[in-house]
Amino acid sequence: MKKLILASALMATAGTQTVHAEDIKLGVFLGFTGAIESIVADMGPAAELAIKEVSDSGALLGGSTVTAVRGDTTCTDSAAATAAAERLITSDKVSALVGGDCSGVTTAALQNVAMPNGIVMVSPSATSPALSTVEDNGLFFRTAPSDARQGEIVADILNEKGVKTIAMTYTNNDYGKGLAESIEKNFTASGGKVSINAAHEDGKGDYSAEVGALAAAGGEVLVVAGYVDQGGKGIIQASLDTGAFDTFYLPDGMVGDALPEAIGPDLNGSYGANPGTDSPGAAKFAEMAEAAGFKSGPFSAESYDAAALIMLAMQAAGSSDSGKLKDKVMDVANAPGEKIFPGELKKALEIIAGGGDVDYVGASAVELVGAGESAGNYRQIAIEGGKVTTVGYR
Amino acid sequence: MVSNMSNAMRATLAFTAMGTALVMVGVFQSWALSLTILNLCLISSVMALGVNIQWGYAGLFNIGIMGFAALGGAAAMLVSMPPVDNAWSAGGWNILFSAIFFIATIFAAWFVHKKMSKSRFQTIAMIVVLVTGYLLTRKFFDPAVDAIEATDSAKTGFLGGLGLPIILSWPVGGLLAAGAAWIIGKVALGLRSDYLAIATLGISEIVVAILKNEDWLTRGVKNVNGLPRPVPYELELHQSEWFVSLVEKLHSGSLIGLEGVAREVALKAALTESAGVFVKLCYAGLFATVLVIILTLCVLALNSPWGRMMRAIRDNETAAEAMGKDVTGRHLQIFILGSAVCGIAGAMLTTLDGQLTPTTYIPLRFTFLIWVMVIVGGSGNNLGAILGGFLIWFVWVESEPGGVWLMSALTGWLPEGNAVKDHLVQSAQHMRLVVMGLVLLLVMRFAPSGIIPERNR
Amino acid sequence: MPEMTDILNALVLFTNFVLIPGIAYGSQLALGALGVTLIYGILRFSNFAHGDVMAFGTMVTILATWWLQSMGVSFGPLPTALLALPLGIAATVLLCLVTDKLVYRYYRAKKSVPVTLVMASLGVMFVVNGIVRFIIGTDDQRFFDGERFIMKAREFKNLTGLNEGLAIKSSQGITVVIAIILVGLLFWFLQKTRAGKSMRAYSDNEDLSLLSGIDPDKVVRITWIIAAALTTIAGVLYGLDKSFKPFTYFQLLLPIFAAAIVGGIGQPIGAIVGGYVIAFSEVLITYPYKKVVTYLVPESWAPESLLQLLGTEYKFAVSFMILVIVLLVRPTGIFRGKVL
Repeated sequence: MKKLILASALMATAGTQTVHAEDIKLGVFLGFTGAIESIVADMGPAAELAIKEVSDSGALLGGSTVTAVRGDTTCTDSAAATAAAERLITSDKVSALVGGDCSGVTTAALQNVAMPNGIVMVSPSATSPALSTVEDNGLFFRTAPSDARQGEIVADILNEKGVKTIAMTYTNNDYGKGLAESIEKNFTASGGKVSINAAHEDGKGDYSAEVGALAAAGGEVLVVAGYVDQGGKGIIQASLDTGAFDTFYLPDGMVGDALPEAIGPDLNGSYGANPGTDSPGAAKFAEMAEAAGFKSGPFSAESYDAAALIMLAMQAAGSSDSGKLKDKVMDVANAPGEKIFPGELKKALEIIAGGGDVDYVGASAVELVGAGESAGNYRQIAIEGGKVTTVGYR
Repeated sequence: MVSNMSNAMRATLAFTAMGTALVMVGVFQSWALSLTILNLCLISSVMALGVNIQWGYAGLFNIGIMGFAALGGAAAMLVSMPPVDNAWSAGGWNILFSAIFFIATIFAAWFVHKKMSKSRFQTIAMIVVLVTGYLLTRKFFDPAVDAIEATDSAKTGFLGGLGLPIILSWPVGGLLAAGAAWIIGKVALGLRSDYLAIATLGISEIVVAILKNEDWLTRGVKNVNGLPRPVPYELELHQSEWFVSLVEKLHSGSLIGLEGVAREVALKAALTESAGVFVKLCYAGLFATVLVIILTLCVLALNSPWGRMMRAIRDNETAAEAMGKDVTGRHLQIFILGSAVCGIAGAMLTTLDGQLTPTTYIPLRFTFLIWVMVIVGGSGNNLGAILGGFLIWFVWVESEPGGVWLMSALTGWLPEGNAVKDHLVQSAQHMRLVVMGLVLLLVMRFAPSGIIPERNR
Repeated sequence: MPEMTDILNALVLFTNFVLIPGIAYGSQLALGALGVTLIYGILRFSNFAHGDVMAFGTMVTILATWWLQSMGVSFGPLPTALLALPLGIAATVLLCLVTDKLVYRYYRAKKSVPVTLVMASLGVMFVVNGIVRFIIGTDDQRFFDGERFIMKAREFKNLTGLNEGLAIKSSQGITVVIAIILVGLLFWFLQKTRAGKSMRAYSDNEDLSLLSGIDPDKVVRITWIIAAALTTIAGVLYGLDKSFKPFTYFQLLLPIFAAAIVGGIGQPIGAIVGGYVIAFSEVLITYPYKKVVTYLVPESWAPESLLQLLGTEYKFAVSFMILVIVLLVRPTGIFRGKVL
């Protein structure tokens, strides 16, 4: 009997009924200035869109409001990123961080600031495999898939298309390099040949040297492991212009309607895959993004999802405390439960408050595995008629 | 004498203001943030001192600071990381052989250059030596690199380091930078002002390119995480009894009257905060020690006959040369010393970050910003350079929240959802660059020799 | 002995991937470096704000282009941006004259050492950098319209029956034509006109030129106007050929400086040669010669490896290596630049 009373008392403290409305702050910790500032221009607003949606719903933790506080990682400078994270956590007192973006600054902020303070970080774009094994006390999650899984997908698709030889170029950072290594490993293991694996630097003046090298090495398809609005686009444009390649394989950083819009009909016939399931999530998110005045660019869906996951986990934990919500992130992200898509955060919060279970699918088909990473369900796409069209799911 | 007085007063005033600013951050934002900024200010000051040695003492226009800082950073990783045994057994011997052939080639080339008389035969011998050396080196180097990079490339794929205490890397970083500076100085110091500048810039770009792309050595853009620390970890402190009892004692006032869960929650919060502050204080102590040592050496050197000679050379190279001073030799000396200081600072920064991130090294952050520190602080004056390091880093970090605040204040009168307002608030982060530019321009205009100018002697 | 078509194929291949892109990129760098070199020669400092001023001019041109496009104006097969260019130039001239009045003039009057002016330009760089991002944001902007190609790779193949294609973009054509016209005009101006002669005199010997009654303010003004025009045109041509992004323009500063220095800063002809040296050193050293060689040698000799001297990841380092080597042989650049 005593036990039962104790248990129900514990339930009551853990349940949602007893919490008081508070002003919750979430850190949006991305590289607003620096090397990937043009991508973050869409990632930041995406995270803030989810935050606004939840805050306006009034359904979180007894009507709590959520405000976003921005912190600039600069993408490259660990020192500035650490200082920004320190400010967000110890001065602005954010409950958790959406971010960081580039793997280097993310690891620095995680190990030097978030971990000592016990703050959860959900990164939308840090893909480095090293982050899977880094000591994180269960505080680090990411909605971006790890490179390892994508390598298998790329090799499968290329093999099904009967491609024997590829040329590959990657953006010279941990994302591009990790992905390129994974693709090369999987593709050569399945009998394919990589004629050249050449780096390109984002934000540099000219890509004729890269395109020249890729063209000279040759291949049926050019795999471009870069970003849709950075060097990756420059390379595709220059390859088409010079007639070096006609067909491109587009990994997740390259999938976006901005690409066919910028390149034009020459891109038709290229294909690729990005995280996604047979769900209306991505399309719905794109509509919401347009209405809110930003593009659904690379990693913006993941940013929305990262913010949403944190807040759903808060609801499930009945607390905005990182120490408590960290144990609920996996629960809300995965089955069982009712599937939740972008724009349905209010519904999700209400289900959780009512004691129900949700399976957050979101804009990027979130499914977390292992140490809190995206499982990597992929949507295979093709560029047809100047649009990204879905071919199937794998 | 009067100028001395006012200079001392300026310094006192400026450092008091700087200290107050940091205290204000501690009071109004948080002490952890204030100490984080302080630590980076200390490192920045060391770097600014290095540049000041070169520019302020000798008038050398070096814009390759980034490269020396990067070498220091690489040293921190190479000294502290444990060796990766699998990688060593996969490609260690071949790397050693290729290194031996590489060094042998250099020596042979040097021998041919020095000992053989100038003739067509010497040229042919030189070409033969270089080509054979290159081919032999490549023969062992290429398979070694492939083997090393293939050992679990997602997690290691590099040779690792020596597994020594990371604090050793600070002098090692200095030595590495000094060695590079010796080579660069030998080659490039004959160049004048802007030509020297662009040559140093070019060489620093080459250094960073090597760090970024030689994965077998540095893991390249995949970064090396988890460098060991010279100070305790916060989470270890949470577990150690002495620290817990210390915190309990310090917070006895606020903990009193709390029982059970409430007390535990309060104690945990206090522990988290104190551990963070304690670790940062440890770092601050280490960095401050280095800064004081280097500053003392600088002051001693500057006041010695050697320092007088340096200033004479800087102010009138021709006259000094006419008096029989070895200008190029002295320039080389000072170039090496200044670069070594930058290397030490680079190693300290990597230690603080706990990771080597080669993509960090961009000219804007590691060359231009340091120059702004020296110019704003006062070139030729050691205290000035230190103040510049403090002030500019402080502004660099605090201009972000400041910019957001300013933009919100400026657009407060506009209605919610106004396009202009949204746009300005959304881009508030870019205020950092504008603020930095304005600080530089205003100081240069109204205090042309910097906040603490060089003393007239 | 390789057949004629093989030689032609090798030649076309090389032209398509090395020569044409190299010439276009080199021309863009050369125009940028000309601005740097003029300011160095006459105002006597390295202008670090050059890349961001370039971004500013391009930004104004883009905004004007959008406005023209919204009014339904177009320039036939040529990009509308060329019509908007004068507005961009005017705005950049204004920016340069204002910064000169607010910033640089003070140090010129004080006869400060060149490095002081360099540092002041660093301050201007930071401020303009921020302003551009406040106005147009950080995104990639494309503003090319009109006919994209002079010659398409596939058309060339069909036309000639060769294996290899040759593509010439209109933006590349426009770049080269405009660069030639501008360089011609600039040299004519410097050599033949009174104002140009007074600029050269001022550059060669300031005191002497003042003695002979040259108005220094006028010389400075003309220099800024020409540099601003060159910079804006270089920026717009670059943006038409690739795309506009503030961050990329800031990054262009380094190759532009390398070009100006390697040619001998202060020497207009050096800036042009320097532009091509930097552009071609990037492409030539990282280009794999396998395919070209395969066309030229008997089948059995065809190389296995890529015949690439250095990987493309080192291309940026390569251009600096060339720079350092050139400076070691000729300490003041190819055309013996100025030393302040």
